[in-house]
Amino acid sequence: MYINRALLLIVGIAFIFMPTIEEWVVSGGSAWYRPYQLWMLIVIAAYWNQRARYPDEL
Amino acid sequence: MSFSLTQILLFIAAYLSGLFAVAHFAERGIIPQRITRHPAVYVLSLGVFAGALASNGTVELAYRYGYSFLQYYIGIVALFVMATLLLLPLLRLCRVYQLSSLADVLTFRFRSRWVGAVITIAMCITLLPLLALQIQAVADSIHILAGDTHYLTTNASHQDGLAFLFCLIIIVFSILFGTRQAVTQQRNIGLVTAIAFESLIKLASLFVLFFVAIYSVFDGFSGLELWLAQNPSISGLLDQPMRGDSARALLLIFFAGAVCMPHIFHMAFAEKPEIHDLRSAGWGLPLYMMLLSLPVLPVTWAGIKLGHDLPLDYTGLAIGLKLQSSSVSAAAFVAGLSAASATIIVTTLALANMCLRHLILPGQVLQIDDTQSIYTQFKWVRRALITVLILAGFAFFVVINNRESLIQLGLVAFIGTLQFLPGIAATFYWPNANHLGLLSGLAAGLTVWFFTMLLPIISSFEPSLLNYFSLPWLYEGGNIWVAATLVSITLNTSLFIVVSLISGTSSEERVAAEICSMDDLIRPIRQKLSLRSPGEFAQSLSTHLGQKTAQAEIVRALDELQFDTEEARPYALRRLRNRIEANLSGLLGPAVAHDIVNQSIPIQPSLHTGTEDINLIERNLDRAQLQFTGLAADLDNLRRHYRETLNNLPVGVCSMGADGELLMWNRSMEQITAIPAVTVLGSLLDSLPDPWRDIIGKFLEGDTNTVLKKEVSIRPGSSRWISLHKTSIEDSSNAGNDRVLLVEDITDYELLEEELLHSERLASIGRLAAGVAHEIGNPITGIACLAQNLEYETDTSEIRNMAHDILTQTDRVTRIVESLVNFSHVGSGGGDIQLTPSNLADCVDEAIHLLQLDHQAKAVKFTNHCNREMVVLADSQRLLQVFINLLGNARDACESGGEVQVMAHSKAELIIVDIEDNGCGIPPGAQTQIFEPFFTTKDPGEGTGLGLPLVYSIMEDMGGSIQVNSPTDNDLKSGTRVTLQLQPGSYGAEFELLKVSE
Repeated sequence: MYINRALLLIVGIAFIFMPTIEEWVVSGGSAWYRPYQLWMLIVIAAYWNQRARYPDEL
Repeated sequence: MSFSLTQILLFIAAYLSGLFAVAHFAERGIIPQRITRHPAVYVLSLGVFAGALASNGTVELAYRYGYSFLQYYIGIVALFVMATLLLLPLLRLCRVYQLSSLADVLTFRFRSRWVGAVITIAMCITLLPLLALQIQAVADSIHILAGDTHYLTTNASHQDGLAFLFCLIIIVFSILFGTRQAVTQQRNIGLVTAIAFESLIKLASLFVLFFVAIYSVFDGFSGLELWLAQNPSISGLLDQPMRGDSARALLLIFFAGAVCMPHIFHMAFAEKPEIHDLRSAGWGLPLYMMLLSLPVLPVTWAGIKLGHDLPLDYTGLAIGLKLQSSSVSAAAFVAGLSAASATIIVTTLALANMCLRHLILPGQVLQIDDTQSIYTQFKWVRRALITVLILAGFAFFVVINNRESLIQLGLVAFIGTLQFLPGIAATFYWPNANHLGLLSGLAAGLTVWFFTMLLPIISSFEPSLLNYFSLPWLYEGGNIWVAATLVSITLNTSLFIVVSLISGTSSEERVAAEICSMDDLIRPIRQKLSLRSPGEFAQSLSTHLGQKTAQAEIVRALDELQFDTEEARPYALRRLRNRIEANLSGLLGPAVAHDIVNQSIPIQPSLHTGTEDINLIERNLDRAQLQFTGLAADLDNLRRHYRETLNNLPVGVCSMGADGELLMWNRSMEQITAIPAVTVLGSLLDSLPDPWRDIIGKFLEGDTNTVLKKEVSIRPGSSRWISLHKTSIEDSSNAGNDRVLLVEDITDYELLEEELLHSERLASIGRLAAGVAHEIGNPITGIACLAQNLEYETDTSEIRNMAHDILTQTDRVTRIVESLVNFSHVGSGGGDIQLTPSNLADCVDEAIHLLQLDHQAKAVKFTNHCNREMVVLADSQRLLQVFINLLGNARDACESGGEVQVMAHSKAELIIVDIEDNGCGIPPGAQTQIFEPFFTTKDPGEGTGLGLPLVYSIMEDMGGSIQVNSPTDNDLKSGTRVTLQLQPGSYGAEFELLKVSE
C-alpha cells in the first residue's frame, strides 16, 4: 500500500478550508443547483481517473 | 385520503416479499449473472448507506443548515473518490484475510480478543439509535398514511404495537435474506441484488417526489425559480452555511459513518467485490448519491410552500396529503420503507456476524457439536442474534418514546461510530498504535458521547448539567452535537496516541501493523511448521472444528491455492496455513481463527524469529502490478537484473536457508538435475529425489568446500560428472547462515579427457607394435624359410610334420604381426585414408561375402537391410575392414543358426548403421574395456584383442564414431547392437556426368 501523500495533503487542505469552499460554491446568489454542477464535474473527473488508474492491485 | 392499517401492513409484507423474490431469483440464477455480477449492482447495493435519514431526515437537515445537508452525502462520496486513502487498503486486507467487519479488522490489527469484543459491544450500542431511527421513520409514516397525524403531534403514549408488528415482519425477512447461505465466506448474491433493487426503488420514489414538487407544486423549474425569487428568506437559508466547526464536524461524522457503519462495511467489503466493482463505485456511487440528493431541496421547498403541520422528516408524505394524491404519498412511503428496511436488514446481519465472531465464539458460549456441520450451527445462532438485535432496536425506540427527530437520532448514531475512526486510521497509518491505546481512546470518546448524546435522549439527563463540571463550552451555541463531536474525537485520539506511546507495542501487533501498512499483505517470514502434510493439518484441525468441517476447509484452501493434496513443501504448507487462517477468519473471526490455527498448526518455536521467505517476496513482487517509482523502481530493476543473471548462469546455482529449505534453483540446475524449479523451490533438501539428495546432502555436511569431480549415476549405464562448490552467506538475523551451492556439469570435459587418454594409449601401443612387428618379422621370416626347406629336404614324415607345424605357427605369428602393423599404421594416425563416396550396402555385402568364404566358421545368417542407394563418405577399404571385424565378432558371439542384421538410417545429417546380433552379449564389466588393445573375451588363441581398437581408430579417422549397446534383449540378457555413425556422402556432379557419358 502506498500512502498517497499528495492526496492526503489535498484532503487535509480541503477539510480545513471546507467552510470557505462551501461558501464559495453557494455564493453570489447563483442557481440553487450550482453545487450539483460542481458535483457532476467531480463525477466526470472520477470516471476519467478510474479509466487511467487502478491496475489490479488486489 | 388515507389507507387502512391492514392495507399498509399488507403492502409492507408484499413489498418485502417482492424483495425476497428478487433475492431468490438472483440466487437461483433466474436473474442472469451478467446482471447480478454487474458492477452497477455493487454500486447500487452501496446505496444502503442512505437509510431513512436520506429519505426523510435530510429534508430537516436542509431546512436547518441549508446546503450543509450535502455533507451527509459528501462523506461517503469522498471515501469512494479517494479510494486509495482508506478504501483500497481496507479492501485488500479484507480480501486477503477474509475480514468482514470493522471488529474483524481491528482485532486483526491489534491482536486482541478484547478489542473485538469491545468494538462489537460498542458498535451494537451506538447503532441502537440508528435502528430506532429506521423503525420510527416507518412507524410514523404508517400512522400518517393511516390518517393518525394526531399521533405525531401529541406526547401521548404511543401505540407501539404497530412498530412491533413491523419489527416482526422485518425480523422474518432479515433472517430470510441474510442467513440463507450457511457459509458467510461467499458473496451473498441474493442479498446484494435485493439491496441494489431497494436502492433503485428508493431513487425512483424520491424522483417521483422531485417531479411532483417541481411540476405539481411549482409549475415547473421556472415556477420554482420565481417562487425562490419571491421568497428571499427561504432561499436565503441556503446561503447561510454552518459555522466552520459545525460544517467540519458534520463532514467528519458522515465520512466516519461511511467507513465504520457496519452495514456500509458489510456491503462494501464483506460481499467480496471485485476490483472492477470498486472502479465503477469510484464514480458510480458519487453519481448515485448526487441523484439521491437532488430531490431534497425542491421537496423541502414544496413542503414549505404547501404548508403542513407534520414534522419536516415527513415532508414527502405531507405533500401527498396536501395534494390529495395517494400515489405521491405511496411514493414517499416506499422511499422511506425501502431505505429503512435495507438499513435494518444489513445492519443487523452485520452486527449478528460481529457478535458471533467476537462475543459468542471467543467467549465459548457456543459448544461446537461434532455431529453436525459447524456452518448450520452458525446459521441458527445468527438468526437468533438478528432477532435479538432488531428487538433491542425496538426497545430503544420504545424508550425514546418518539421524542427525538430522525436527525437527532442519526447524529447520535453517527457520532458514536465516529469513535472508531482513529482505530481504522491507525490500522494503516500508524504502526506504533496498540490495543491499550485504542481501548483507552475508545473508552474516553464513548464516555463523552454517552453523556452528551445518548443519555439525554434516553433519560431526562440535561447536558447543560455539565456546566457544573466546568465544561460550559460543551453546550455553547445550542449545537451540543458539534461540541460532542469535537471533544469526543479529540479526547479519543489524544488518549489513543499517548497510551500507545507509553505502553509500547507487542511483537504480534508490530507484525500485524506491518502487514496492514505495507504492500505485502502476507508477511514473508520463513517459519518452520510442526506438521508435514495437509492430511496432518486436517487431523489436527478436527479437534477444534470437527472432522467434516476441518476436511472441508483443507480441501477449500488447497483448491484455492491450486495445491495437490500430497503437497509437502514447507513453503506451500506455510501458504496453506495462512490461507486456512484467512478462511477461518471469514467464518469465525480473526481472533478465534488465529488461536485455532496457532494451536492446531503450530510454528516450531526455535525458528520463531524466522528469516525472510525469499520465494514469497519474489512472488509478491512479481505479482504486484504497481508502477514503482524512484528508488523503489531502481531497486526492483536491480532485483530483476540479478535474478536473471543468476537464473541464466551456465553453472547450476542452488541456495538454501539454514533450515535446509531450497530458496533458489536456477535453469542450469534444472538442466543438470532434470528437476524443475517449481517442484523443489520452497521444499526441504530431504525431499529431493535420489541421487541428488544424497550428493548435495553429503557435500553440504562435509568439510571441504569443493569437489572437483563427482560421478553421478542417473540411471544404470549412464553417468555424468559434476563439480561442486559451496559457500555460506552471513545472515544478520542470527537464524543461521544460508548456503549457496554451485554445480557444474563437467561430463563433456570428462569424456574429452578420456578420449584423449584413449587415443594417446592407442598411439603408444601402435608405436610399440610397429617396433615389435619389425623386430619379430625378420626372424620369423627366417624361421619360416628354414622350416620350408626342412619340409622339402627330408623324407622322414615325422620331421616333415614337425616342419609343417612350425610353418603353421609362423603363419600365425605372421598374421599377428600383420595385425600389429595394420594397427600401428592406423593407431599412429598415419595411413592414407581417403574419404570418398562409398555405397554402404555394397560394402556390407562384400564383408558378408568374405566372411562366408570361411567354411569352418559357424553357420550364421547375415542379413543386409541397408538401403541400396545409401552412400557414405568413407575409405571403402577401411570401411570393409570395419564391417569384417564387426560382423566377424557378431558371428563369433552367436550360436550356430544365429542371426546378424545390418540396418542403416539417416538421422540429423548422419548415417547411423546398426549391426545387431542375437548372440551372448557383452558382460557389463567388459563394455568399458572392449576398445582397449589386447583385450578380448574370446578363448586364448581365438582373438588378438586388436579388432575393436582397430575399428575404433578407423572410425575416428573417418570422422565417425562407434557405440556398443548390450544386451539388447533385457529379458534374455543377450544380443549386442553396435552403432556406427558415418558422414553421409554423394557421388556428386562428376558421377552424374560419368553416368550420362556412359
